[in-house]
Amino acid sequence: MCCTHSFEEVKSEPLSPPVSLDGIKGMKFFDPHVHMTSRTTDDYQAMADAGVVALIEPAFWLGQPRTGIDTFRDYYSSLIGWERFRSSQFGIKHYCTIGLNSREANNEALAEQVMEILPLFIYKEGVVGIGEIGFDDQTPAEEKYYRLQLELAKESGLPVQIHTPHRDKKGGTKRSMDIAIEHGLDPYKVIVDHNNEETVKEVLDRGFWAAFTIYPFTKMGNERMVDIAKQYGSERIMVNSAADWGISDPLAVPKTAALMKIRGISAADIELITYRNAITAFAQSGQIDEADFASAGSAIDQSQKFEGNTILRGGQQPRIDKSSIIIS
Amino acid sequence: MFNYKVDEIRSILKAIVQANTTRDVLAWLEEKRALNTSFVLLPRKTGKAIINITAHQSKQIDTIIPGFSVDGWSIDRLGRAYLLLNLDASDQKEYFRVIEALFLAAEIGELVALYSTLPLLAYPEIWVKRCSEGIRSNIGSVLEAIMYHNPYPAQNLDQSAWNQLVLKAFFTDKDINKIIGIDTRANKELAYIISDYIHERWAAKREVNPNLWRLVGKFIDEKLFEDIKRLFEEGNLVDRKAGALAISQSNYQPAIALLTKYPELVTAIENKNLNWDSLSR
Repeated sequence: MCCTHSFEEVKSEPLSPPVSLDGIKGMKFFDPHVHMTSRTTDDYQAMADAGVVALIEPAFWLGQPRTGIDTFRDYYSSLIGWERFRSSQFGIKHYCTIGLNSREANNEALAEQVMEILPLFIYKEGVVGIGEIGFDDQTPAEEKYYRLQLELAKESGLPVQIHTPHRDKKGGTKRSMDIAIEHGLDPYKVIVDHNNEETVKEVLDRGFWAAFTIYPFTKMGNERMVDIAKQYGSERIMVNSAADWGISDPLAVPKTAALMKIRGISAADIELITYRNAITAFAQSGQIDEADFASAGSAIDQSQKFEGNTILRGGQQPRIDKSSIIIS
Repeated sequence: MFNYKVDEIRSILKAIVQANTTRDVLAWLEEKRALNTSFVLLPRKTGKAIINITAHQSKQIDTIIPGFSVDGWSIDRLGRAYLLLNLDASDQKEYFRVIEALFLAAEIGELVALYSTLPLLAYPEIWVKRCSEGIRSNIGSVLEAIMYHNPYPAQNLDQSAWNQLVLKAFFTDKDINKIIGIDTRANKELAYIISDYIHERWAAKREVNPNLWRLVGKFIDEKLFEDIKRLFEEGNLVDRKAGALAISQSNYQPAIALLTKYPELVTAIENKNLNWDSLSR
């Protein structure tokens, strides 16, 4: 769940000079947090063009609060069904994490019902973790469902993707980690998301994975991210776009890689931060087979390739010439 | 309950599963536990490799359930079919409830397995709605699971649902030759809908799949003959070949007379050098 909850809060800032993506041509990227349900096919195409070969879509708050269990069920189903298919059309391997987000945990009557159906979904293929869960307002209800879902993660052996709050971030991040430890989770199986300069040290020191969301205005900018990479290196650090229904950038991961390259971060570190670490962390679910997307430049969803069928292979969607005013 | 020799299919599928997994996995498959759990977890046990199947097994299956084939299936898809075959089918209501629940919470791989297993399920008549619903999917592999080498739709769907399947297959560029019953279930209503569709394509100056004429040929009449004439007058070689093949299915005299003007096409059809299969290649 990210990040700009009110469009009015957005202040326009002077745009920085454009960064070319040329420097990262041929590189592969893994965006471990992006809400494609809220994005268009243009985004998919741009991501594929920029080298994004796989992504994780965490279950989140859709902006409009849900009022019934069926809309939760259909949303989870769409993450393992329709959205996964849509992604495959662009040659991008789609994984997801399933969970009850912190915001909607506050609707306790509904949250109870959601907890009942979660076990139906977390064992599905391509579900690589419980997420995104954690704190928003840090209410007792949020804590209750966070704890229950940590237990679910423990039972299923799945990694956990933790959303850290916007307000009281430092305290909320610390508290999220404390509770995870209290429930006996291995920090190496927990990805703490939306870090910043203030939270990163403790997260890494305690053995958790530190994810950074590159999201304009409200979270990290990628120039700050470069500085963090310079200071902390690449161990257990990853970046994501958390692109969603707000003003966000689905190319945040490749753009950050490009900037890192320009600013002198080594190719090996860039690969870890923008690709490899996310795979290592979430592959602990047993649900990621790198062969499904690693074949350079032509990530094809194997499940779409039956008996020589060609039409629905990933990355072969017909192209529209965007510069033309003719639509045929 | 079953409209085919279920014991025979079960033992063939078991032999294929056996040949493509370890003994432990087979034992796991046959353990008693909630179907939902086994069904979801299955690929973690079996992996997803494409199965090896002997030509003999393939032929046996086709003999028992004509048109049905598991060639090219992955082991998890086959394993799931095998699970469903081992489900107790004695209580129709319960049987339906359990399998329908799998459909409702299925991810793509599960949907593919479920739909391609329709011809193996008991009480074929109770899955008609489910099959029609599947045809409404826009997920390519799900559609293929229903359309390709699957005899269930041709045997069970009513005419309008069948026509929907065929139209959807053309709209999504499917391989028409893999649809079981494509010729036997051709009907006049469909031929007219296809004619309208072709006119739309012509108006939009978009390509027309020559295989569409395969479903028109048998029903050529005064109106449809106008379309065929246009193929010969304005079309390219592939169009004329398709037109010739369509006429070869027809008894409409003016059409037959038209075809005699193209002796080389007549000869090609008679020599079997030209057929619908070769046309689409």
